[in-house]
Amino acid sequence: MSALIEVHNISYYYALDEHQAIPALNDLSLSVDRGEYTVVIGANGSGKSTLARHLNALLVPATGKVWVDGLLTSEPENKWEIRRRVGMVFQNPDNQIVATTVEEDVAFGLENLGVPPSLTRQRVDGALRLVGLEEYTTHAPHLLSGGQKQRLAIAGVIAMEPSCLVMDEPTTMLDPRGRKEVLQTVREMNRQRGITVVHITHFMEEALLADRVLVMEAGRIAAQGAPVDIFGGDLELEPLGLEAPAIPRLARLLRAGGLDIPRDALDVGKLVSALC
Amino acid sequence: MLIETKNLSHVYMPGTPFQVKALHEVNFVVEKGAFVGIIGETGSGKSTLVQHLNGLLKPTSGEVLVDRQNIWQEGMDLRRLRSRIALLFQYPEHQLFEETVYKDVAFGPRNLGLEGTALEERVRYGMELMGLDFETCKDRSPFNLSGGEKRRAALAGILAMQPETIVLDEPTAGMDPSGRKQLLKQIRKLHREEGMTVILVTHDMEEIVRSAEKLYVFSGGRIVLQGLPSEVFSSSRYLRELGLDVPPLADLLQSLREFGLELRTDIFDEQDAAQEIIKTCKKRGR
Repeated sequence: MSALIEVHNISYYYALDEHQAIPALNDLSLSVDRGEYTVVIGANGSGKSTLARHLNALLVPATGKVWVDGLLTSEPENKWEIRRRVGMVFQNPDNQIVATTVEEDVAFGLENLGVPPSLTRQRVDGALRLVGLEEYTTHAPHLLSGGQKQRLAIAGVIAMEPSCLVMDEPTTMLDPRGRKEVLQTVREMNRQRGITVVHITHFMEEALLADRVLVMEAGRIAAQGAPVDIFGGDLELEPLGLEAPAIPRLARLLRAGGLDIPRDALDVGKLVSALC
Repeated sequence: MLIETKNLSHVYMPGTPFQVKALHEVNFVVEKGAFVGIIGETGSGKSTLVQHLNGLLKPTSGEVLVDRQNIWQEGMDLRRLRSRIALLFQYPEHQLFEETVYKDVAFGPRNLGLEGTALEERVRYGMELMGLDFETCKDRSPFNLSGGEKRRAALAGILAMQPETIVLDEPTAGMDPSGRKQLLKQIRKLHREEGMTVILVTHDMEEIVRSAEKLYVFSGGRIVLQGLPSEVFSSSRYLRELGLDVPPLADLLQSLREFGLELRTDIFDEQDAAQEIIKTCKKRGR
C-alpha cells in the first residue's frame, strides 16, 4: 500500500484575540494509506476536527506540510483538485443539503465542476445506488430520516469520485438505526470501492470497525494501532478523556478476575465464544 | 409534582397534505422525585411528548395534568409552569447568547423577578451544580468555553431557575466519553441530592440503564413497552425490531444464557456482571 495523505509536522493555532492563540495541532505527523479505514478518537478539543480540515485544505497548517496524492495543500492552485479527491461529510445532515430533490442535491457538486449532463446522470444514479437511496431520487431531502439524509450527503461526495472520504462525527445526530445504515454504507464503500476513509467519532464502538485507530490528545497523536491494540490491552484511556467500549471493559475485568480471555474479544460474539 | 398525560394525541399540521399524527392516546406518568427514561427511534414521538409536559405544544386531544390540574384549563399560569418543569433542548449551547457566563445563567432567574444577591445566589447554585467554578467562569464569554463546558453552562441557566422537574432531550449528544460520564454523574446527583424529578430522552442505552428507574419505549407515536430497565431490556429481540440498541452487557448476558450458562441476565453494572460471569465459569470448572 502507498500513502494517499502525508502529514508532516503540522501545527495550527486558533487566535483568541490579538495576543493569545490556542494551539489546536502540535507538531503532528501522520500518513494515511490508500484504501485504509482510519478512525480518529479523542476528547472534545483534542484537535480531531482541526486535523480533518487539514486533510482537504479547508485549513492549511501554520507550520509543517500536508500532501494529498502528492499535491501540497498550502499551494492555493491545488485547493480545488484536493477537495475533489478528498470529500468531507459533517455532523449535521441538515447543514449539508442544498437542493429540493435528492437527485439534484447529489448533482450539485458535479454541475459546479461542469461535468456534462449525461455523465452527471450516470454518476448521480451510481452514487444513489451505492448508498441505497435509488428509490428516492425525486423525494424532497428534508422529508428523509436522519440516516437517509446523512447517506445523501455521502452520495453527494461519492458522485465526485473522490479517493478519500473524511467524516467528522457523521453519526452523532442519528438514532441507532440511522447510525447502522451510515456505518454499513461507509464500510461497503471502503471494502468494495477501495475508498480511503478517515472517520472521526465519539462512539468508541465505531472504532472497532477500523483498520487503524488514532487516539488524539492536545493536538498530538497519543496512541495508534489496530482496535485490539487500543482496546484489548493495558492502554489507559481515561486520562485521555476516553473510555473503552463496554465489552472490552468487561473483558478486562474478567481477565483481572482470573479468566483466560483473549485480547481480541472486543465484541459480544467473540467474548461469548471465549466463554462458552 | 406529579405529571400525567391522559389519552394524549397530537397531530402536526392538521387538515393539510402534510398532516402527521405524532402521538396516539399516550398515557404517561412521572411521579414526584422519579428518574424516568424515554427511548425510541427518531420520529417515534419522544420530543413531541416532552414538549407537551410544560405546555409548549397543545394536545390535539387528551389532557396533560400537573398535580392533577389540566394545564390548559382557564387560569393556569403556563409561564410559571415552564419554570417548574424546565426543558433542555438538544444542543442547548446554541442558545447561549450573553457576553458572560454570569449573565447567561442569570437570564432565566432574572425573568422570574430575582435581582441583587438573590439573583447571584441562584447563578452560583446553577453553576456549582454543573461543576462550573463560579469565580473563574462567571466573567468568561460563554463562546470561549469548551464544548462540554458550554453544555453545562446552558444547563446551569436552567437549574438557576430551581425547577422541580427537568426534561433533558439527548443531553450528551456530541460529547466525548468522559464529558458524557461527568454530565450524567451531575444529573444523577441532581436527582439524588436535590430531589429533582428527571426525565431523560436518549439513544444511549448504557446511559439510561445506569440512571433511570423506569423506562418508556416509544414507537410510531405510541408507548410500546414500559417498566423497570431489567424488564424492558429483557425484550431484546423486540427492541431491535424497533430499531433500538440493547445495552451491551444485557446483550452479552442473554447470549451467554442462550449458550447454556446459568447466570442472571438482569445486571447492568459491569463490576457486578463480571462477578456473576466469573462465579458461573468457576462453578463450571474452568
